[in-house]
Amino acid sequence: MDQGPYADLTGYRFPGGIALVEPWMNRLWCYATCAQDTAPSVHPMLVYAAAVQGSGVTFQDIFELLDGTVETGIMVGEQRLAFQEALEVGEIYEVSGGITQVERKSGRRAGTFDIATFELELRRPGGVDPVAVSTTSFVFPRGEVSA
Amino acid sequence: MTLEIPVAPGTELPTLVIDAVDPEKMKLMAALLQDPNPIHFDAEAVRALGLGDRVINQGPSTLSYVLTMVMGWAGGPGALRNVHMRFLGNVFGGDRVECHGTIADYDQESGRATLDVHAIANGRPVIRGSIVVAL
Repeated sequence: MDQGPYADLTGYRFPGGIALVEPWMNRLWCYATCAQDTAPSVHPMLVYAAAVQGSGVTFQDIFELLDGTVETGIMVGEQRLAFQEALEVGEIYEVSGGITQVERKSGRRAGTFDIATFELELRRPGGVDPVAVSTTSFVFPRGEVSA
Repeated sequence: MTLEIPVAPGTELPTLVIDAVDPEKMKLMAALLQDPNPIHFDAEAVRALGLGDRVINQGPSTLSYVLTMVMGWAGGPGALRNVHMRFLGNVFGGDRVECHGTIADYDQESGRATLDVHAIANGRPVIRGSIVVAL
């Protein structure tokens, strides 16, 4: 496997922080995704966004770590979620995590691209086991297409 | 305990349909996600990348549709245990999205069902994967 020039980002830890989904945010998320309001539980996909917002970095920060810009067509490639229980609206969760893998790939149609995977764990304050884990892979096109 | 929902492998979940993905909701989603990518709110940015001429739905929105379908069948957010999805293509503003799911396996002892799920947009595959739920 080609690790590529960003392989040294593997193991990079985000500052971490706190995730809190307010009722209005859950309601708007459900509205935006054509779902009925899931309160008092957080919509499970909103857990992904709450985890990022509690991680201490923004999407822009992650893009910049890999020298990516929105103009290059960065996309989500894969998403994993694991739950011990549904998260609750209005509750505080501690977020920790970082980049777990960066690998370079290439294809005849897609050209060269990097896949960066980051994993975020959410715990109740002081908790040992995460109640949810969000793992996301972003695809960073590098624009070089094979002949 | 007798389950009130059918869990035989091969059973199809009720399909969830979004008749037309609303570009205005993409703008709201961009704000909620704090996602600066203009392909979600500026069709010109999509054209500049050669990806089409309509704004592109956020991947988490498309996956939300699938999770909402599963929650509707399985009894709510508390049923979800594991989700693994791969994005296959873009969903554009105005697309009709259909979410489908089938029971692949059911373990009676643990009460967990594994579902094969996917969504199509105007007939194109856009997301596929598996979801484990506790019933």
